[in-house]
Amino acid sequence: MHEFSIASSLVDTLLEYAQKNQTQGKLLEVHLKVGKLRAISIEQLKFSYKVLAKDPFLSGSRLIIEETPALLRCPKCGFSKNFEVADDSYHFALPTLSCPECGTTVDLEGGDEVVLTKVRIKAPSKKILDL
Amino acid sequence: MAKQTEIVTSSEDEVFDIELEADILKANRELALENHAKLKENGITAIDVMGSVGSGKTSLIKAIVSLLKATHRIAVIEGDVTTTIDADIIASEGVPTVQVNTGKECHLDANLIKKALALMQLSKLDLIFIENVGNLICPAEFPLGSDKRLVVISVTEGPYMVVKHPMMFHEANSVAINKVDLANAMEVNPSNLKNDISRLNPKATVVSTDCRHMVGIREVIRSLGLT
Repeated sequence: MHEFSIASSLVDTLLEYAQKNQTQGKLLEVHLKVGKLRAISIEQLKFSYKVLAKDPFLSGSRLIIEETPALLRCPKCGFSKNFEVADDSYHFALPTLSCPECGTTVDLEGGDEVVLTKVRIKAPSKKILDL
Repeated sequence: MAKQTEIVTSSEDEVFDIELEADILKANRELALENHAKLKENGITAIDVMGSVGSGKTSLIKAIVSLLKATHRIAVIEGDVTTTIDADIIASEGVPTVQVNTGKECHLDANLIKKALALMQLSKLDLIFIENVGNLICPAEFPLGSDKRLVVISVTEGPYMVVKHPMMFHEANSVAINKVDLANAMEVNPSNLKNDISRLNPKATVVSTDCRHMVGIREVIRSLGLT
């Protein structure tokens, strides 16, 4: 359900950007990076975006999401690796925070971002009037 | 001669990409930082209390307030979808309360807390509890500007509450396992829940509580660094 709030922030960010830069034309693609540790359902986020993207500039645009990794790093023994879903016995992707080598609490680097990285825009059609 | 209008539509090369670096969670995070700064200016410690519906968040806050109200100037922000039932329960302890009704949202966010803080006499307080909406998923995504996160679960929610909702425990400072007086009846072993929490987040302090009989309340207070 919180995906709706996040999609709503995304729509606000896009409209703010378009207004600030006086962007004309039509938005085709929105590229978003979502960290693996975020409890965000990609499908719900896409659905919420589709529902909320009603502005003529936004409507019909495609939300393309790339999941970004999280790095586990042990401050004591130096163990580090990218966290993978398969590491856990549960299907939901969250690492345990104890180092598998020495049991120390590991640090997490990355994996918590939700960043708009790129937009693809189609320029407005040019009308050449020959009177 | 008739007017001739020729329309040229955009070709492929007129599609252009713009690289951006816009943090979508920034708006909430910045408001959370503002709230935090405002609380610190007034020397206030704020605790975000989270947990599922019926786990005993309100009972635990009430129990903590009853023990600390003589030595601390406390206020409580109650987040619920609707009603002032929880705020009324806490108000019976004689401390100021603000009820935040989220309406359709399943979590509090930093903007709602900003509005609640604007209604409070912050210079007359030194401790604020913020009870989040009963939900073990969504609130974890929205920092409010508090100093610590206290998560409340109860044995009546069954043996798998922690492993099914890991995100909530990842960023918790303290976890209360409530209603331990019912553990036998529920056939739930609180130490299994404790192990699940420690595995996910070894830094969290885990305390067993029975709020109705004031068991474990002082341990929760200590785990939050309050005395």
